[in-house]
Amino acid sequence: MDLRHLLFTLALICANDSLSASDDILQRPQISKCRSPEMETFSCFWTAGNFYNLTVPRILQLLYKKSNEEDWKECPDYITSGQNSCYFNASYTSVWTPYCVQLASKKEVYDKKCFSVDEIVLPDPPVHLNWTLLNTSQTGIHGDIQVRWDPPPTADVRKGWITLEYELQYKEVNETKWNELKPRLSTMAPLYSLKTARDYEIRIRSRQRTSEKFGEFSEILYVSFSQIGIGCDHCTEEVEFPWFLVVVFGVCGLAVTVISIMLSKQPRLKMLIFPPVPVPKIKGIDPDLLKKGKLDEVNSILACHDSYKAQLYCDDLWVEFIELDIEDPEEKNRASDTDRLLSEDDLKSHSCLGTKDDDSGRASCCEPDIPETDFSASDTCDATSDSDQFKKATEKEEDLLCLERQDNDESLPDLASTDPQHQHRNTESENSSVWAPFEDSVESPHLSVHTQISNQNSLTSTDFYAQVSDITPAGRVVLSPGQKSKLGRAQREGCTEQNFTMDNTYFCEADVKKCIAVTSQEENEPRVQEQGYNEDGYFTTESLTTTVANLGAPTAAAPSSEMPVADYTSIHIVQSPQGLVLNATALPVPDKEFNVSCGYVSTDQLNKIMP
Amino acid sequence: ASTEGTLICLLLVALLVSHMLLTKEGVTSLPICPKGSVSCQLSLEELFDRAVKLSHYIHFLSSEIFNEFDERYAQGRGFIAKAVNSCHTASLTTPEDKEQAQQIHHEDLLNLILGVLRSWNDPLIHLASEVQRIKEAPETILWKAVEIEEQNKRLLEGMEKIVGRVHSGVVENDIYTPWDGLPSLQLADEDSRLFAFYNLLHCLRRDSHKIDNYLKVLKCRLIHDNNC
Repeated sequence: MDLRHLLFTLALICANDSLSASDDILQRPQISKCRSPEMETFSCFWTAGNFYNLTVPRILQLLYKKSNEEDWKECPDYITSGQNSCYFNASYTSVWTPYCVQLASKKEVYDKKCFSVDEIVLPDPPVHLNWTLLNTSQTGIHGDIQVRWDPPPTADVRKGWITLEYELQYKEVNETKWNELKPRLSTMAPLYSLKTARDYEIRIRSRQRTSEKFGEFSEILYVSFSQIGIGCDHCTEEVEFPWFLVVVFGVCGLAVTVISIMLSKQPRLKMLIFPPVPVPKIKGIDPDLLKKGKLDEVNSILACHDSYKAQLYCDDLWVEFIELDIEDPEEKNRASDTDRLLSEDDLKSHSCLGTKDDDSGRASCCEPDIPETDFSASDTCDATSDSDQFKKATEKEEDLLCLERQDNDESLPDLASTDPQHQHRNTESENSSVWAPFEDSVESPHLSVHTQISNQNSLTSTDFYAQVSDITPAGRVVLSPGQKSKLGRAQREGCTEQNFTMDNTYFCEADVKKCIAVTSQEENEPRVQEQGYNEDGYFTTESLTTTVANLGAPTAAAPSSEMPVADYTSIHIVQSPQGLVLNATALPVPDKEFNVSCGYVSTDQLNKIMP
Repeated sequence: ASTEGTLICLLLVALLVSHMLLTKEGVTSLPICPKGSVSCQLSLEELFDRAVKLSHYIHFLSSEIFNEFDERYAQGRGFIAKAVNSCHTASLTTPEDKEQAQQIHHEDLLNLILGVLRSWNDPLIHLASEVQRIKEAPETILWKAVEIEEQNKRLLEGMEKIVGRVHSGVVENDIYTPWDGLPSLQLADEDSRLFAFYNLLHCLRRDSHKIDNYLKVLKCRLIHDNNC
C-alpha cells in the first residue's frame, strides 16, 4: 500500500510538472508600444516572449526605418528607457515622418510597427500638485479649494511646441469611484463643496490637446481640512433636503388652495381655474325646452333653424308635416299665414310678425321666408336670424337642391343623390313663410330634404311651404317661390345626370332662376343682389353666383323667355355627401320647351330668365 | 391690467438679465471689424488667436474624419501597412523637430505655412466633392469634408493678413506644390479608390497638425515671447 501511494503521488507530481511546463504558451516577442512623451524623443518597448530556451540568449534587435529610406537601421539606444526598450533621442526623431520599426532576430522578424511620432504622444504626468482653501460655507460644513499643478517638465509648453490638456479626478478617501472634471487647458482647477469633515484624494493626468489618449496619472494629492484647522467636529450630521416634509406640505397647500377656489364666491376666479365644461347646447334653443320635453316647440325652433343637424327632429318634423299635409284645414291655416306673409312688402324689416327675440329660439330664426312648422304658433321668426349658423353649417360645396316640383300629395321625402342642382327662384313676390325643413346636405348624405309647396299655381292655398332651392354658403336658405303664378312661372325639369362642377354644384338650367338677394344680411353679397330685388325671402347662394361665374357662360342656352321653374324636384339618388341627383321628371310645361341638358347658367342668363 | 403690466415688466427684466449672463460666460466675442474700414485693425495678438483657433479646429476635424474613415472603410484592408506614403506636400521642407522650428525665421515659417495651406486648397475642394461619391458615405464624413474646406479658406485669408502685418518686405507667393491626386480619387476599383482617400486623409491630418504646431510656436514666440 505504501509503495502504491508513493508511486501515485510521484506520478501526480510528474504530471503536474509537465502540465505546468506546457502551460507556458509560446509567445512571440512583440512590440508592446512606442511612445513619445514630448514630441521630441520617443521610445519603443517590447516583450521578449518565451520562444527560446532560457539557455540560449535571445538576440533581439529593433530595427527602424524612416519612410524615405531603404535600409533598416538598428536601435541607437537600448538602455535609456530600460530593459527591452529602444530610445530614440532628439537627433533621431523627426516628428511628422513615418517610421517603421521591427523586432527581429538574425533569423526572422517577429513584429513590425509603422507610425509617426505625432501619433504616439503620451505626455508625462503633471507635477507639483498643491491645493489652497478658497472659502468655507457659513456652517463650516463645506469648503471650496483651488488645486494647482505644473505641467510635466519634459513637455515644452512654454515655447508652444506641445499643448497639453489636463483632467483632474478626485474622490473621498474611502470611496472607490473617482469623480472627473472636464479636461482643461489651464494648470489650476477649483473644487467646490467639499465636505470639510472628510479627506479627499486628487490625481491629474494630461494629454496632447488633439489626441484621445491620456498619459499616466500624477501622484495622488491628499486634501485634509483638519490639517489647516477648519475641520468640523460636529458636522457628521448631514442636512438632507426634507423631501418628506416638502411633499406633505405641498400636498396640503394645494388641497387648501383648490378647496378655497372651489368654495370661493368669486366666479371669475373659479372660471379661470376651473372653466365650466361645455354642455351640449343647441344655439338658440333654451335647454329648458329640451328638459321639459316640449318637442313641438323644439321642432318649431329647429324648423326655423339653419343648421339641421338633428336628424331626429327633422324626422319628427317630417312626420308632422306629412300629417298636416293631408289635413286641409291646416293647409288653410297655413295659407292664411302665408298670405299674411306674402302680402308684406317690406322685407327689409326683419321683424317677424310680432315676435320677440327670446331664448326659446323660435324668434331667432330670423328669415321671414323660413316657414314655420308649428302651425298653431303664429309667431314667425325674427328677422335677425342666425345666418351665421348657416354659414357654419354649410360648406362651399353644399348641395343646392334642384327640387323637383311635386304634387301636394307627394310629401314623402326622397333621398336625393348627390347631384345638387340649383334652382334660382324668383322670389320677388314671395315672402311666404314656407316651411323648408331640410338637412344640411353636406353633412349627411341622407337628405330628406323636401319641401313641398302645395300647388304652385295657386297662390293662396298651397303656400304652406316653399321649396328650398339651395343653401348659401353664408347659411341662408334659398327658397324657390312657392307661387309662380304671379310671375307666370312654369315648371322646369330637373336635371338628370349632368356635368358637375368642381364644387359638386351645378345648375339645372331648366330650373335656374335668379334668386333674390337678401338685403339685411351683410354676409350675403351675391351678384344677383344687384338685380334689385330687395325681398328678403330668398337668397342666392354665394357659391351659386360664384360658381355660375366660374363656370362661365353656361353651355346650354337658356330659354330666352322665362321658363317655368319647378318648385322642387324629387330627390332621386343620394350619391355622396356632396350631391343629389334629382329626378328630372318632366313637369307640365304650359307653353315652353325646355332644354333638358342641365348646363350652367350665368347670372346674365339668369336675369334673362327671370322676369 | 396693472398685474399684467408688472408681469410683462418682470418678464422683460428676466430676459435682460439672462441675456447679460449668457453673453458674459464662455462666449468671448471677438471684436468685429467692418469690412473696408481703414481705422479698425485687429491686433496681431488677436489675429494669431483666431488663426490658432482655426488651425486647431481644422486639425480636430481632420483627426475625426480620418478616424471615422479608418473605422468605416479601412478595417481589414491593410491600409495601415501601406501607409508609408508620401504626401504631396513632402516636397516642402518644413521643420521636422523642435530645434528646426526654433531656428527657422518667423517670416520663412509663415511663408511655409502659407504654402502648405495653399497646396491644400485644391485637394480639399476635390475631397469635399469626391467623398460624396463614396457609396453610403456617412453624413458626418461628408459635412466634415465640406467644413474643413471652408475653414481652410478662412485660415488662408487670416494667414495672409498676418503675413501682411509681419512681413517687412515683399510677400513671397511661390511656395506651393500642386496636387495631382484627383484621378486616384476617381478610380473605378473601389479598393484603390478608398486607399487613395485614406492616404489623402492621413496626409491631411498630418499637415493640419504641422500647421497647428507651427502657429502655436509662432504665437508663443512673437506674442508671448516664448513664455506661453
